[in-house]
Amino acid sequence: MLLDVRGLTKRFGGLVAVNNVEIQIPERSISAIIGPNGAGKTTLFNLLTGIYEPDTGSIQFDGRSLIGLRPDQVNARGMTRTFQSIRLFHNMSVLENVMVGMHSRLPHVSLLQTLFRLPSFDEREKKVKARASELLRFVGLGGRGDEISRNLPYGDQRRVELARALAGDPKLVLLDEPTAGMNPNESEDAKDLFRRVRDELGVTVVLIEHDMKVVMGISEHITVLDYGQKIAEGSPADIRANPRVIEAYLGRRAAGTDYGEKTKHETPEGTM
Amino acid sequence: MQTMSPAQWVMTFILRPLGQLLLFIVGSAVLLTVISYIIALLIPFPNPEAALRPNAIALADFLSARLAPIIVGGIVIGFVYAMIALGYTLVYGVLKFINFAHSEIFMVGAVVGFEVIKSIEASGTLAEWNPIPLVILMASAGMLVSGLLAVVIERVAYRPLRGAPRLVPLISAIGVSLFLIDAVRAIMAITRGDFNLIYPLNGLPWTDSIKIQLPEAALTVRPTQIIVVVAAILMLLFLNYFVNGTKLGRGIRAVSQDATTAGLMGIDANRMISLTFFVGGALGGVAGVLFALNTGKAEPTMGFAPGIVAFTAAVLGGIGSVPGALLGGLALGMVRSFLDFMLSFFPMFGSRYTDIFTFAILILILIFRPSGILGERVDEKV
Amino acid sequence: MTTPTAVKLKTRPDVPLWKNPVAVGIFIVVYVIVITLILLSLDRRDTWFPLKTTLAFPPLALAPLLIINAPLSRWAKAIGLFLLLGFVLPLVGIYDTNYLELLIQISIFSALALGLNIVVGFAGLLDLGYVAFFAVGAYLWAMFTSTADTVFKLNNMLVPGSGLVTLPLINLQIAAFPLFLVIGVVIAAIFGIVLGLPVLRLRGDYLAIVTLGFGEVIRVLVNNLDKPINLTNGAQGLHNVAAPSSTFLIGPLDLAFEFLRSIVKTNSSVTPESVQQQILLYFIAISLVGIIMVLANRLDNSPIGRAWTAIREDEVAAIAMGVPLVRMKLLAFATGAACAGAVGVLYGAKQTFVSPESFQLTQSINILAMVIVGGLGGIRGVLLGATVVTLLNLQVLTNFSLQINSLRNINYVASANTIRVIIAIPFILLTYWALRLVMKNDQLERIDAFPYVRFRKDIKPLQQAIMIGRVVVLVIAGVLIMASIRDFPIKDWPTQLTPDKYQRFVFGILLILMMIFRPEGLLPEPRRAMELGHAEAELHKLKEIEDAS
Repeated sequence: MLLDVRGLTKRFGGLVAVNNVEIQIPERSISAIIGPNGAGKTTLFNLLTGIYEPDTGSIQFDGRSLIGLRPDQVNARGMTRTFQSIRLFHNMSVLENVMVGMHSRLPHVSLLQTLFRLPSFDEREKKVKARASELLRFVGLGGRGDEISRNLPYGDQRRVELARALAGDPKLVLLDEPTAGMNPNESEDAKDLFRRVRDELGVTVVLIEHDMKVVMGISEHITVLDYGQKIAEGSPADIRANPRVIEAYLGRRAAGTDYGEKTKHETPEGTM
Repeated sequence: MQTMSPAQWVMTFILRPLGQLLLFIVGSAVLLTVISYIIALLIPFPNPEAALRPNAIALADFLSARLAPIIVGGIVIGFVYAMIALGYTLVYGVLKFINFAHSEIFMVGAVVGFEVIKSIEASGTLAEWNPIPLVILMASAGMLVSGLLAVVIERVAYRPLRGAPRLVPLISAIGVSLFLIDAVRAIMAITRGDFNLIYPLNGLPWTDSIKIQLPEAALTVRPTQIIVVVAAILMLLFLNYFVNGTKLGRGIRAVSQDATTAGLMGIDANRMISLTFFVGGALGGVAGVLFALNTGKAEPTMGFAPGIVAFTAAVLGGIGSVPGALLGGLALGMVRSFLDFMLSFFPMFGSRYTDIFTFAILILILIFRPSGILGERVDEKV
Repeated sequence: MTTPTAVKLKTRPDVPLWKNPVAVGIFIVVYVIVITLILLSLDRRDTWFPLKTTLAFPPLALAPLLIINAPLSRWAKAIGLFLLLGFVLPLVGIYDTNYLELLIQISIFSALALGLNIVVGFAGLLDLGYVAFFAVGAYLWAMFTSTADTVFKLNNMLVPGSGLVTLPLINLQIAAFPLFLVIGVVIAAIFGIVLGLPVLRLRGDYLAIVTLGFGEVIRVLVNNLDKPINLTNGAQGLHNVAAPSSTFLIGPLDLAFEFLRSIVKTNSSVTPESVQQQILLYFIAISLVGIIMVLANRLDNSPIGRAWTAIREDEVAAIAMGVPLVRMKLLAFATGAACAGAVGVLYGAKQTFVSPESFQLTQSINILAMVIVGGLGGIRGVLLGATVVTLLNLQVLTNFSLQINSLRNINYVASANTIRVIIAIPFILLTYWALRLVMKNDQLERIDAFPYVRFRKDIKPLQQAIMIGRVVVLVIAGVLIMASIRDFPIKDWPTQLTPDKYQRFVFGILLILMMIFRPEGLLPEPRRAMELGHAEAELHKLKEIEDAS
């Protein structure tokens, strides 16, 4: 298992945001974490990446524990993320955004190199720029590196975020609602992109998603959270038919009906 | 809003707040007395040279002799700090913005008070005035001018900058602060030829000190100190009633919590903000008059030091919280009074070290408990 | 990338004249020569000298910036700057040492502003106590070389007259001043880290107040560290601070004096010996500015610079992307402090007397004002800001006072019409500019506080009437004021109202107006202009919501 989370719990005052959650993510997989709003999914991501510290539980990533690490240290270990609301550096260019993602990559840049512009500095800058351009081409934004990220359309901004998250050569990337606000065409493109991330770059993908077309379409494994607890996990087919999951999204009455079958016919928006 | 019986009203708006104030004062006084005695017992002779003299007196004895004036002094200055701190905290509550110029609004109050008392003196009747109406007149003038000044400042220098990055209104506030100092200097230079303004309190019948005999030593209390405390308590009681018991006060609190929703409920945020500035400025103005009455003078740069201390007090108590500003002001006033006394015995520290210690308190709070003693924790949503 | 210049003038008609390198180059050369000649021809004893020198000197002081911003090739700029800074300015400085003093001050503050720009402009950390690092550098040099009776008195290690210090133990002689420049950088950087550590988690307003407090603490400490052991000589300050040896300049200065005497009549009391110290310091100062400029530029265009921008924009996203917040912030504090430390050592050597009075909060605010006025984040803007603010402080206001005094001496009476013209000029400019703004809708929200008419269709009639009313009132008030102006004898100017003591007044208004109308500064750095411009767009949206409700 690349990522092994056990017994993870986080309280905010009286509210238990994440309650004894257990997840295993194998290498080179695409997994999804779904659940109604407020289920604790983003909090889970924040716990994994070190933005919050868990009250109890363990997080083993690539054989080492992530507990107590700062977000930049987690990043250096090989786990990066995107955010639910786009958090690009809006006044920086697209290319610069991606280059920032490479900050913690070796070779580290030292103050001396920067001030005296040693040859090693120029070399590194060239390599960094080249890699960043490569990544932009990968996500479909080749040649647009000099545009100011604020001016990009929404869908393209999401791509920049992805490129930025991939810039650090991570082993695992956490994507928080990457297709939010996308139309069906864009979602399809996104699905392909995620597959390519796993296949061509060898990066494990974990998604938080509400778009069931995307979730069901590419996930090998789905974990469902509700009120901070894991209520189900399994393959897409298992989850679709799971009455507890249906109840969580639509309420008990819906769970009692035949709705499990009905979900095979998607609504135009693609959401459940 | 349900109507209260007179007894309930007195309880809620007079007795409870008075009780709170008393608690803050007594609590800090007791705590600091205990700490001071512990230090005095551990280090009886902080100054090694003094220890060698034949009639060397231990620190603890000094402390016992001066304990009463230390506490009284702490109370007096504590109330002043509390009133200034309220100005910072109220504005921070509605705008999440530190009004850097508030210390100058405080100063303007002191100058206005000076002008009032000077014009009465010019009419030759100063000695016949009963202190109570005199102080009321000065305080009202200070309140009005400072309050209006604060409203104008908000309108001209802050409102156009709403929504700008934090740096921008802060710089503007610094600009206002600088401008006010020199504007007052210029006005004083032109009209009076001097900007060190001495309150003409000498020789007035009611300014003679009152001696109270206590077991350990005699306590000298100046009537101006009593005036400060009484006036401050009245103002604070009124403020508490205003913020918690009136519709306008509720409006201010609503805007502090959530301006957008308050707007949806029909509350005009801009008017509430102007009102907040008025109230905060008025309090600062009264504090200025009382402070100047107590120290006997006013001058254009007088706002800076009390301003920083009051800000520390607001942060200590919990910025954005009204009882927090009260607690912070009273506690910090007491702390400084004790510090002034204790530090004067240690040869390596001078009197200015009180400021350094105050500042150290600010840093420690901001590092370890940024929400202050009575504040709420606000975490950023990621 | 240069092409034959003569051809360029003719074959590129589409390039506007002010972008044409040759035209600009010629213009600058003529400009500098003319201004220099004017300055050299002014007579100190002239009653109107203060006014004239205030009009003539700033253009020369701004000439280096003109060259830097001109559309010239790098070589042309380098040569131009070399000639200007190396020959023309020192010459003017020799002619009148007041100018030299001003030039040195401008350089010192430029260096300080560049250093603060690293902290505030690049990394977005609002430091209101920056002057503390400046003080550290100055006191380092002063403590070690002053003849005052402090613990550190090591001036016996100085080999007299040579500027060399004999290091103990190793018994090696090295130049003291450069050594202390290095020591100043290191110690100040350490102070920077010490300041930075507790404030890492603070943002915005809190950071400002705390750093302000630090600045004050350092000042108070320095003021009081004369007992029990005398470290800093307390409030008395340190006197007889040494200066680096400048005897090697006598030769070149003799030549310079000869040249000068051949074109103008010089003051006979000014000799190479009297001026050599300041000239040396001038050259050291501009070298420091140059070095810091280059280093700051290199920092900006590097992963470190990008990391700082990222931190400024969104700390949480930055740290999630692997930017080590702690290290980057401390680095910003340290490098900013290091610059101030180096400049401080220079300052100590220049002033030869160092006391806590020179390091007050007003100085920190001064330097911050330079960065803001010039243009936060941009190196060129900051240099402009430093020049403008220093000139304002040290020349404009001072000369205003001097002018008043000299006019008082001749019982000058300012005629009513003169006064009307003086007041009318800025008023007309303001009105013209405001009317222009009225046509550009996107700036309207900014001037809500001011009584200018808005020609927006959706505005309620009552509001429109009020706004027109405000304008009418303003015009009537203006007319009344104009009418009531009388002749004014200068001796009636109140003696306490000396302009050079009213810096705060000018600064206060300057800062407020700049924040309202041009927060991105005079020479905005492109990215910050976007950030602050973006705020305008947000403001616009907010106002729309407010207006609609």
